[in-house]
Amino acid sequence: MWAIIKKEFKSYFLSPIGYVVVGILLLVSSIFFYLTSVQTGSVDLSSLYYYVALYGLIIAAPILTMRMFAEERKNGTEQLILTAPISITKVVLGKLVAALGVIVITLLISFGYYAIVCFFAKTSIIPVLTSMVGFILISIAAISVGMFASSITENQIIAAIITIAFLLMSIFLENINTVFANLCIINFYEKFPSGVVSLTEIAGLVSFSIVFIGLTMLVMQRRKVSRS
Amino acid sequence: MIEVKNVTKKYGNFTAVDNLNFTVQEGEIVGLLGPNGAGKSTTMNMMTGYIEPTNGSISINGYDILKKTKKAKKQIGYMPENVPLYSELTVKEFVSYMAELKLVKRAKRKEEVQTILKETGLEEVQNKLTRNLSRGYKQRVSMAGALVGNPDVLILDEPTVGLDPKQIIEIRNLIKKLGKKHTVIISSHILSEISQICERVIILNQGKIVAIDTPENLEEKTKEKNVLLVTVEDKEDKMPNIKDKIKDIQELDMVKDNEDGTKQYKIISDPQKDVRKSLFEILPKEGITIFELKKAEITLEDAFIKLVDKTENKTDSKAENKTKSKKEKKEKNKKAEKGGKE
Repeated sequence: MWAIIKKEFKSYFLSPIGYVVVGILLLVSSIFFYLTSVQTGSVDLSSLYYYVALYGLIIAAPILTMRMFAEERKNGTEQLILTAPISITKVVLGKLVAALGVIVITLLISFGYYAIVCFFAKTSIIPVLTSMVGFILISIAAISVGMFASSITENQIIAAIITIAFLLMSIFLENINTVFANLCIINFYEKFPSGVVSLTEIAGLVSFSIVFIGLTMLVMQRRKVSRS
Repeated sequence: MIEVKNVTKKYGNFTAVDNLNFTVQEGEIVGLLGPNGAGKSTTMNMMTGYIEPTNGSISINGYDILKKTKKAKKQIGYMPENVPLYSELTVKEFVSYMAELKLVKRAKRKEEVQTILKETGLEEVQNKLTRNLSRGYKQRVSMAGALVGNPDVLILDEPTVGLDPKQIIEIRNLIKKLGKKHTVIISSHILSEISQICERVIILNQGKIVAIDTPENLEEKTKEKNVLLVTVEDKEDKMPNIKDKIKDIQELDMVKDNEDGTKQYKIISDPQKDVRKSLFEILPKEGITIFELKKAEITLEDAFIKLVDKTENKTDSKAENKTKSKKEKKEKNKKAEKGGKE
């Protein structure tokens, strides 16, 4: 699996995609850092991470995931990994971890905001750390959706649109009926930013991810039978 | 050793591969031959575990590709048809990625990658991005990807498509060399290639095996007639009458009227009978001078076309029979209905 992670992660930064994603996330962060901290003179960074998760991921996740399987399918390179002695589970998880790596880089850079805040006033690092843990979990969930979208098509654009549509729709769907509330991953990212690690939220995000990772693996497995 | 047993692949109602059975012994070079769409790539994809057969089993060195997937896949080096490469990687990066995927141990990896690069003649371009390579080099990179990890079985899907003649010879020699240590299966629709490299040929058409044999035997088997080409100087134009003098000649046609006054004829006779001796005896008596006499070899090409045509005719006639019998049934039914009414 290490081979897949390493290669995928490297590929993100051999193409512009890795830089674009980090750039977008940092841009969104900076805007909300200005709006929530600089403008109001607050040292509380919790809303910063919340807004980045809400607006940043909707753009970053599709860009990060659209090529995952769609590109391999189109170029035929999936033939190389699927005929290698490595299981589909490892391929899927490897790609997920690599994508997460790009997000983690952004999170590490985002410590800069904490440093800036610290320069003016002493604040606890704990809410920042829980925000980040939560951010990693919600990113995994968003990446899983994107990964699934990428596995069902060979067109990257379509994969990206499906991901954006799903992430956007899920936010509004709960207004129609609260049944859909659990489809909206941002609902599971409300306590993390305030420094609370909530089991409900962890369980929500993890189970959401498992469903989509499972679906991706299922698609890959099924295609063994259906593809020509 | 590869064992393919009763393998069938269906897509809906379409049968891409129909009940294939064959074994490939260790160290053998086998060619998979057939027109486009015959099911060569599908067969190879099933052997490598890329797609699953609808029925049947495939085992590689005793490991079933569906049950002991990992072990079976480890035995195989596969070069897919369209030479898929990761365009953002350099040649060396690509080959070492393949080495990692093939579970080559870390300590050995660097050395192995270098030997493979050397073997496939890629040392000079090892730091170039694969997307900047010419077709011939891409093909070699793909081949290097298949070779890395030293697998027992090599499955090469049309390895020489799109190469120039010099590159074809190079790749051919490489495959021959590899055949000494590995079991090799190559697919191709170019016959001359197969007949030069392979010890055995499997001819596929419409998803079925049409023939399995050595290239020589296939040529021999499909030979129905003895064909001779004879170039003569025939001033009195007596050649057409020769047919009456040598009874064994079945057909005699002029092929070419050369400008230097000689003519070339094609003589067809029974395969059991050799008319060469009588030609040499009788022609000079008629005042005809023989300039050249040669046997027209039936090539694998002819054999191939013959075999493929045969199966196509068979299936055509089958289809016709089916429609016929359907019609007959319908008519019978109609008659029965009429009878009922009466």
